[in-house]
Amino acid sequence: MKKLVVIVSYKTVKKMIRNILYVFQYDKPGVIRAVFWEWVHGMFIAAPSGILLVVLWELFEEVPDIQMIWITIGSMALLFRGQIYVAKKAMLSSNLTTYEMGRKIRLALGNKLQKLSLGYYKKRDPGDLASIVLQDVANFENIFGHSVTNITNALFGTVILSAFLLFIDWRLATTLIVALSIAIPLIRFSRWLVEKYGKKHIRARNATSARFLEYVQGIRYIKSYGMTGERFRSLDKALVDLRKESIRVEAIPGPVVLSAGVVFEVFFILMIWLALYYFTNGTLGIPTFIAFLIIGYRLYEPMKILMVEYPILSYMNVSLRRVIEVLESKEQEVGKNLTPQSYDIRFENVDFSYTNEKKVLTDISFYAPANTMTALVGPSGSGKTTITALMARFWDIRKGKISIGGISLQDMSPATVYGLISEVFQDVYLFDDSIYNNIRIGNPHAGAEKIHQVAQKAQVLEFADTLPKGLNTKVGEGGSKLSGGQKQRISIARALLKDAPIILLDEATASLDPENEIYIQDAISELVKHKTVIVIAHKLATIRQADNILVLDKGRLIESGKHEALLQQNGLYTKLWTTQQKSVGWKFTSHLKTFNEDVS
Amino acid sequence: MEDKKDDSMEEKPKNGILRLLQIAGKRKYHLIVSGFLAILHAGLALVPYILVYYIIKELVEPPLDTVLIQQYLLWAIAAGVGSYALLYASGMASHVAAFHILYALRKETAAKLGKLSLGFISTYPSGALKKIVSDDIERIEYFIAHQVPDFVKGFTLPVVTILYLFYVDWRLAAVSFVPLLVLAIWMPLVFRSPDTKEMMQKYHQAQEDMNSGIVEFVRAMPVMKIFGQTADSFHRYSGTVNEYDGMAKLWMKNSSPPFAVFMSFISNATLPILLLGTWLYLQNDISLSTLLLFLILGVGYIKPVFALSNMGMQITLINRGVQRMDEILQQTEQTSSTTRPSFQHFDIRFKEVGFSYTHGVKVLDKVSFTIPEGSIAAFVGPSGTGKSTAAQLVARFWDIREGEILIGGVNINTIPVEELMKKVSYVFQDSFMFQETIYENIRMGMDKSGLEIIEAARAAQCHSFISQLPRGYQTRFGEFGVHLSGGEQQRIQLARAILKDAPILILDEATAFSDPENEYLIQQAFSRLIQNKTVIIIAHRLSTITDADQVILFGTNGVKAGKTHRELLAHSKLYAKMWHAHIRAKEFKIY
Repeated sequence: MKKLVVIVSYKTVKKMIRNILYVFQYDKPGVIRAVFWEWVHGMFIAAPSGILLVVLWELFEEVPDIQMIWITIGSMALLFRGQIYVAKKAMLSSNLTTYEMGRKIRLALGNKLQKLSLGYYKKRDPGDLASIVLQDVANFENIFGHSVTNITNALFGTVILSAFLLFIDWRLATTLIVALSIAIPLIRFSRWLVEKYGKKHIRARNATSARFLEYVQGIRYIKSYGMTGERFRSLDKALVDLRKESIRVEAIPGPVVLSAGVVFEVFFILMIWLALYYFTNGTLGIPTFIAFLIIGYRLYEPMKILMVEYPILSYMNVSLRRVIEVLESKEQEVGKNLTPQSYDIRFENVDFSYTNEKKVLTDISFYAPANTMTALVGPSGSGKTTITALMARFWDIRKGKISIGGISLQDMSPATVYGLISEVFQDVYLFDDSIYNNIRIGNPHAGAEKIHQVAQKAQVLEFADTLPKGLNTKVGEGGSKLSGGQKQRISIARALLKDAPIILLDEATASLDPENEIYIQDAISELVKHKTVIVIAHKLATIRQADNILVLDKGRLIESGKHEALLQQNGLYTKLWTTQQKSVGWKFTSHLKTFNEDVS
Repeated sequence: MEDKKDDSMEEKPKNGILRLLQIAGKRKYHLIVSGFLAILHAGLALVPYILVYYIIKELVEPPLDTVLIQQYLLWAIAAGVGSYALLYASGMASHVAAFHILYALRKETAAKLGKLSLGFISTYPSGALKKIVSDDIERIEYFIAHQVPDFVKGFTLPVVTILYLFYVDWRLAAVSFVPLLVLAIWMPLVFRSPDTKEMMQKYHQAQEDMNSGIVEFVRAMPVMKIFGQTADSFHRYSGTVNEYDGMAKLWMKNSSPPFAVFMSFISNATLPILLLGTWLYLQNDISLSTLLLFLILGVGYIKPVFALSNMGMQITLINRGVQRMDEILQQTEQTSSTTRPSFQHFDIRFKEVGFSYTHGVKVLDKVSFTIPEGSIAAFVGPSGTGKSTAAQLVARFWDIREGEILIGGVNINTIPVEELMKKVSYVFQDSFMFQETIYENIRMGMDKSGLEIIEAARAAQCHSFISQLPRGYQTRFGEFGVHLSGGEQQRIQLARAILKDAPILILDEATAFSDPENEYLIQQAFSRLIQNKTVIIIAHRLSTITDADQVILFGTNGVKAGKTHRELLAHSKLYAKMWHAHIRAKEFKIY
């Protein structure tokens, strides 16, 4: 078990050092400057102890040299003044270089984020990404300057002090150093324990969070079914478990950590014992004895600093790892960087899977001529959304070929592909800015007249005109002041302004806001005029006129053709269509009729 | 109920450190023990140093008594081991206290949430509530488990040391205070100057700007990429990053000199003792061993004292969390009587009901209508006119202050909340599944047999998809990657409501269209659910409620009740306009 601990910690330390070296590249001269000043400062910190010893040694002489004593003490006052200067230099240089690295890391992250595929953004929680740029870099900034210098100083101090003590009496020094070799495995063992029980503790904490989240999110149900007690019991169980694990993670490694402290104490006393023995047999002088009594214990101070700083540094390392992971993510390749001249879309034997496990699409081939409408139909999970995402090069495929205007997507820059496409999907991102500026995103070069025109066509004016400031009304954070349907119309206005030749559309957006669906419908009708349109369809009635309907099931294209032709095939499409027809005209009706009897 | 109110009035809610101490007081005895052990630890920790002093005394003042010294050394080992053992015991006592308190606070907060109105809870995002219970409450641990014993220790250790030093030699003891005094007077002057305050403000402002800059940059990135404007947004982003960096560096430049002075004082703190001590020794006023004692012990207490002064900042942070927790704990609970009314019928009646959310515009004003038992009432109207609010009031999501809502002639505010919940089923637009078996997800703690559950599942059109799950009804939600589609979850919700069989039903019509692929099945479930119930439907698509017994129209100028679809269509311009828009929307075809 001990061996395992050594290996584990050796690896983690190595990784940690690699991560720290990785970020050094962002301000190498600054780091070198900081290390230099920190070490100079380290010597100034150690100097008073040296002076103290010199004075004491002099006092123990038969005839102390009084003048020499006062000069030495006087030099301590000078060193004090000097330390103020050096400490300032050291602190400034390490803090400034830390912030400089932080700044450069943030800019590097920003640069990287521009180049990652849109698929990457679909896969990652944007809140998590933001917290890497924000919190993880801040963790680095807050910990690095302080912790790394503390640790370098501690290591440096240990080396100097051990050398000095070994020099004046190797026997006593070795005794003290033996304590280190006993304490270090103890500390490692305690870290192993902390990790072991820490894992259980974290599991208990996550379980509590999950239980509590379930309790809060489901509280409407819990209350309306009167099961406050029952649900509460499972939460209570998680809380009791968390209490138990929290106490254990403190109680179990505690004695091991403290026993390292005991080892130091005991060996220090043992050292005195030995010194006493050497003193009585005449092989040890009083000055050396005193030196060991006064500064011998300081040999352990760096260990104590390491014990405090190492966990903090590990915490920072987790943040660094997250940062570096983003910085090293793979970017999309831009083959020949061509731009297509026509806008027909072709899929040839396309296979796709997100991970290596399960295929999401298998052998998909179809052709969508320019200025036609192709509808994607099929049960949820059949691969409709994935097809539209691949068209926009959110992800790169490994097998098959997707081309626009005869040019493979792999031979276009992602920016070129995005330039050809407008999407109208259910989630809309709005800036905390005016409606006007939110529309302008579609084309920053557009004039006011053009923006009013698209706002009119996309039915934005229908609601903007009722607002006090019209198009200049702020939409609130994420568009919080608007309804789903209103946000949707702004996104359609953007797309109209962008005027891209290909439109990807999710038909469900039309019924996002049932009271205002007519307006979204009108806006969509404007948008799809004279474009190559790919629409994900849920309500089949809306796409009856499509030029081509692709019916998907479990990632395969199983039927295709026009509505009438598909109905004659009597396959999945027919089944979907007849089921949907059954729900048309459904009404809420009670069996009692108290108000009126006949409603047509 | 009245008495309760008076009680809470008398006991004024505390805040700040007093509130923290009040919380810590819940485990007073643990903490007293912890503090007492911490004091003993501090005392014992000094013993080895003092014994070293006696050893030195023996060394420099012959004759040397080795037996005595060896005895000292044994004592020193015992004291060292003992002090560590006491440290552990003290730490455990405070940690046990802390974790019991955290447990109690978490439980109390959860229980409290169960007693608050759903409306109030919905004003918090569920993530924010989770944060309060997991993170904010967790912070209190630091105060109770660490700061309380640290404070006791950080206070006793210097006091004991100082007393002992004064006992040995008052002059040297006094002079050892010099660095501490200089720092104590001078540091606050530097850190509380108006300049620093202003700079702190600017720094925090720059930090906030950068934070929101980062969040926007990341969130907007997909949109910016699609519209080819990443360069612009990177420009804005790097602007805020550089601005913050500039402020941070400026702050560092200003705060480094005082810290440098502080550090230099700490590492040279022995200087005054060395100066006076050497002089006194050369005057033969003190012995060499006394000088050594002061050099060993005389400055050790400075760092702990400054550690104490840092506690303030931690406490501010902890307090912010406590305030967020107290916001919930101090909310007034929903009141009701404890007597169960007996209902003769289940008419719903609104009498002059007025309602507004916390502060702001009146959503409902003098609304009156009656929904007879067993009839269907549809609430219709443009968005923002209060139709959903009115429906929620029946289930007491919010409490009203004007007018009355009666069920079977009984004011709902006087019906025990659990009793009301038994009479009213509210079918929510968004479903929620517990991490339990499908069986338990339908049963919801109700006293029902397996047969009844399957019956309800059949009626709600879920039986067939449940049967296809790996373990049927006993499949745990979320297990084997079992995630039901939105429409399937919605039908489970309907199965629950069918099983509950409450006489009053409130539902949102949009629910019936939440899954276009399975619309038909959900509609079947609905048709089954609403049989023989008093039903309120919040309706958006008017064609589904043309058969309702009464259509209650919520307009900007008040509420029109008691009419049928046909009557409204003939007499209300607003309704006619809504109806025609709806009919046109139904015919929508892309292209």
